[in-house]
Amino acid sequence: MKYFLYWGCSLEASGVNYLRSLKPVCEALGMEFEEIPDWNCCGASVSYAGANDLAIKVLNARNLALAEKKANYDIIAPCSSCYIQMIKVNHEIQENESLRERVNSILAEDGLAYNGSIRVRHIQDVLFNDIGTEQIKRHVTKPLNGLKVAGYVGCQSVRPYGEYDSVHNPVVQDKLLEALDAKPVPFPKKIQCCGSGIFLPEMDLCLGLVRDILDDAVSHGAEIISTVCPMCAMNLEMYQDRINEKYGTDFDIPIVYLTQLMAVAFGMDLKRDAALHHNVIPPENILKAAIGN
Amino acid sequence: MEKKAALYICTGCGIGDALDIDSLKELATDDLGVPICKDHPFLCGAEGVDLIKKDIQDEGVNTIIIAGCSGRVNYDVFNFGPDKIVERINLREQVAWCQPPKEEDTQMLAEDYLRMGCSKANDTEPLEPYIAEEEYSKDILIVGGGVAGMTAALEIAKAGRKAILVEKEDKLGGFLGKMKKLITMPYKDLSDTGAEDLIKEVNENDNIKVYTSATVAKISGSPGLFTAEISADGNSVQERVGSVIQATGWTPYDASKLNLGYGKIKDVITNVEMEEMAAKGKITRPSDGKEVKNVLFVQCAGSRDPEHLPYCSSYCCLASLKQAAYVKEQNPEAVNYIVYKDMRTVGQAEDFYRKAQEDGDVFIRGSIVNINENGGKLSVETDDELLGERVNIEEIDLVVLAVGMVPTSQPDQIPRIQAPEGTEGADEEGMIEVMPDSGFFAKSALNLEYRQGPELPTLKYGFPDSHFICFPYETRRTGIYTAGCVRRPMEVVKAKEDAAGAAMKAIQCCEASSQGVALHPRAGDISYPEFNMQRCTQCKRCTEECPFGAINEDEKGNPLPNPTRCRRCGVCMGACPERIISFKNYSVGMIGNMIKAIEVPEEDEEKPRVIAFVCENDAYPAIDMAAIKRMQWSPYVRFIPVRCLGSINLVWVADAMSKGIDGLLFLGCRHGDDYQCHFIKGSELAETRLGKVSETLDRLALEAERVKFLEIGITDYNRIPTIINEFMETIDELGPNPYKGW
Amino acid sequence: METNTSYDPSFAREVFENVDSGEEIKMCMQCGMCAASCPLREHMDYPPRQIFSMIRAGKRDMVLNANSIMMCTSCYTCQVRCPRGIPVIDVMHGLAHYAISKGILTRKDTAVFGREFWQQIYKTGRIDEKDLSRRYFFADGIITGIKKSLQMARMGIIMLLHGRMKILPEKKIKGIKSLRSMLDKAMQTGKGGSEV
Repeated sequence: MKYFLYWGCSLEASGVNYLRSLKPVCEALGMEFEEIPDWNCCGASVSYAGANDLAIKVLNARNLALAEKKANYDIIAPCSSCYIQMIKVNHEIQENESLRERVNSILAEDGLAYNGSIRVRHIQDVLFNDIGTEQIKRHVTKPLNGLKVAGYVGCQSVRPYGEYDSVHNPVVQDKLLEALDAKPVPFPKKIQCCGSGIFLPEMDLCLGLVRDILDDAVSHGAEIISTVCPMCAMNLEMYQDRINEKYGTDFDIPIVYLTQLMAVAFGMDLKRDAALHHNVIPPENILKAAIGN
Repeated sequence: MEKKAALYICTGCGIGDALDIDSLKELATDDLGVPICKDHPFLCGAEGVDLIKKDIQDEGVNTIIIAGCSGRVNYDVFNFGPDKIVERINLREQVAWCQPPKEEDTQMLAEDYLRMGCSKANDTEPLEPYIAEEEYSKDILIVGGGVAGMTAALEIAKAGRKAILVEKEDKLGGFLGKMKKLITMPYKDLSDTGAEDLIKEVNENDNIKVYTSATVAKISGSPGLFTAEISADGNSVQERVGSVIQATGWTPYDASKLNLGYGKIKDVITNVEMEEMAAKGKITRPSDGKEVKNVLFVQCAGSRDPEHLPYCSSYCCLASLKQAAYVKEQNPEAVNYIVYKDMRTVGQAEDFYRKAQEDGDVFIRGSIVNINENGGKLSVETDDELLGERVNIEEIDLVVLAVGMVPTSQPDQIPRIQAPEGTEGADEEGMIEVMPDSGFFAKSALNLEYRQGPELPTLKYGFPDSHFICFPYETRRTGIYTAGCVRRPMEVVKAKEDAAGAAMKAIQCCEASSQGVALHPRAGDISYPEFNMQRCTQCKRCTEECPFGAINEDEKGNPLPNPTRCRRCGVCMGACPERIISFKNYSVGMIGNMIKAIEVPEEDEEKPRVIAFVCENDAYPAIDMAAIKRMQWSPYVRFIPVRCLGSINLVWVADAMSKGIDGLLFLGCRHGDDYQCHFIKGSELAETRLGKVSETLDRLALEAERVKFLEIGITDYNRIPTIINEFMETIDELGPNPYKGW
Repeated sequence: METNTSYDPSFAREVFENVDSGEEIKMCMQCGMCAASCPLREHMDYPPRQIFSMIRAGKRDMVLNANSIMMCTSCYTCQVRCPRGIPVIDVMHGLAHYAISKGILTRKDTAVFGREFWQQIYKTGRIDEKDLSRRYFFADGIITGIKKSLQMARMGIIMLLHGRMKILPEKKIKGIKSLRSMLDKAMQTGKGGSEV
């Protein structure tokens, strides 16, 4: 199956381990990727400070138009922020004809137009619905043997549309984890926000949010936390020191991408494919112990 | 009728495992003298039923006693025609399923039920329906020609019946006729009221006879046999009808009682006045006739206020949203302010609330502090709850008070009585308001020639009393139904539904009455109370206590029963001190004999005996349900189902106590404001009567704690074991009844 | 309740007309579900519900200066729970954009960060995380910039060591010129009353 992979800006930098692990895992599962030619940033969730709504819509419409021009593949956006921005604009353009005309009149600056024929998908959606847990299980050569994982869903990977999972009680990530023979722990804060794009400027407030999430995961027995969003990963991983300092806690729990866990379970190379060396809090020992290496 | 009885014991559903069936059969044939006695493993199956039918045919059996499942189930399977007596003994739920199997006490319980059932079967006579000599009418009288009345008339006409519609104004239509527009399904936009079409349809329908400028001067008789005197334009006309629908509607709450400037400031009007003004054309300011721009609606004007109308009329929010739409339609620049307590647009009407929000109406949650007039404009001071501030809303042209609905049945004056000293809420002279609980207080509409007053008994707030949840259109006068806003506040679309419901009930009533069968809740029952007049002492208890006003009185005070008004609850039977009222299958003596049939063990056996008189409507099914859940309780209790606790006669207490029964339980429905009693007053009367039982007990030198009244709802089944076991503990503490063995 | 204020519908009109998604607040029925759902509710001057109520009452200054409108983490919890389907996030972003464009920077850090973010997109078409942070830290001048960078330096080094920072600066996308003219046009014709 062919897809466009719109990995976005973060996956080239702070989320590099996400992209590195995603590619070999998906290829192993028979997926093929195309890049949207000359794509631009989605605007993420903070651009509103500088731009109005229409400008942000145009940003995403340009990417959609470029994709549509090239092929009629679904777009996979592994970064939650890219996903939400793009799927939102896509829905709005598909459902609102006058908006579509308005946006197209602007895209016309570069001879582009978007007709609304593309579908935007999250990586979890594709793994769960197009590939399926049975297929994934067949690729598992190094099962995670009941490793206790807190599947942190976050916000924008399911909300607000809930196209492939419940917005109130998502289960897809847990099911994918189960397919790897991990044991997802019940974890009420798996949908609480980590602070997302305003973490950096509102760090004082957001450290508390992350503390609550980590605390919930750890107190439910998690040995490791998985995520599907570069912002979640960054906010949960990079600030554990500061949280410990501020709140007198002692968090030291690895944060990995779901795709990294998949690469490990698929028996792939821990460095080249699972890209574990990019993680600041090293997950290697826990994972090696789980797969019995 | 020469009786030939047969007893059939079903051994299925665990009964055979719990009991010694052979010894039960022996008891029936040897001690109780039942000529035929058989058992079958699956009596309700085709083979079992055939067994009974064969005996009816071959052996001439006409009294069939079935010991098996509860009488609440399989009543259709064990129906062998009206000329056969069927008595059901509940060995399944109330013995096998709630007691440990094969124990002495369990067997004794079953034996007692057998004795009681056979005794009752022995005393029961075959039933014959009551058919009056006069001709029955199946026409239906409708009082009130508004939307509910007209809809009811059309529904009746469509069912091929005749409706007689009486309207006090010179034109049909009621409030609907005075409205500009409606909001109705799908609650997206305003629509025409349809009043003209409805009036035309009614006037043109051959099955509907319309009297305008008319009132009902008198209604006499009973369901199926009513005679209504209608005074129309000064003439008096008589109509014979089978049932009646009262759809007299509502009046707006008197806004001058509110401290909101009504009557003092010209530009403060009610929602009804606003509607009428809009219907006539332009919405203008009454003070200067200028077109309005900014309008402020005051929701709950007097509603949900203990000082005024304590209830929600449920239509006012929607009406204000509609009128706000009129204002916007007239001037799109206009601003509507809606000051509310809670926006209550029930059901799909929420969609219209959304539309009003889209239109930009300003919703302010809070309460009005002041309405002031200055320089021709109004300003309204409001405590804005959501801002947490007192705000002043200025430049208002018109204030509309959304007043609630007062039922037309509400008495002009709430009756006041002298209260016992120290009663809370009594005035300086010790008088207190009481609920107008009889037909003497409601405003004139029907003028019934009933012993218990000319109108429908009303509840708190003046709405006609009915069993609101179970039988919505029923009133406390059989065959007289209410529909529309007189019943409860509602909007047009609901009034139409209501009218259709009441029309169906009214038709049902005509049919049932003419066939001599009871209406709700004992629908289909053909038994009815018979009075042995020779022994009547004219005490009037039956005529006063009948919850449905079924019994009139002659000048001497003799009761004049009206069987088609009767609901067959037996409250009269319980009321009669001379015990002259009885049914062919239910009487004081019959239950007395059942009590006597119970075997009371000697004191030294330490097996106490308790009888529970159980209301058939709620408490009895609750016990069955507890048994279905296999809950267990003391084996020393014998249940006797009664039609309503109101039918219990205090002589049963004496019967039981003098026989050595250790305690009596009375399990009936909740009564009071939110009563659950299917016969409205029955359980309340029972408790009042039991209040006097201490005299009986004193006479016998017994403790008052031996008799206990308890309210049991259908959902209280899980409490059954606790209730019974706690009572058994009390009995244990009191020790055995000293009359044992007398 | 002592203060006596008037209801002034003009601010509501201003919001409906000029703020992105501003007209959506008409549908609010003041249930407070948004307030209960917001992860940062404790830190807000007024929860979204009250912001909407204040807009209706005409409290312009209080609304535009409220920290709440710039505190949205875009987690969409309020939005999926709103019984009236109001895109609360879009409204909050719209209000924040409107306030910032009027020079109101109640949450200055967020406003500056967001503006730097946008300017980088405008400049190159993509985001360079390290360049973004640098610009953000130094937006307030060199001294604060150095101070802020030092606080974050350790993290920066760690990320660099783990290969999670691009070393080369982000190149402009090929179509940057036409993208800019698109964005210019959108900014001119869209709502929000703002300038780049």
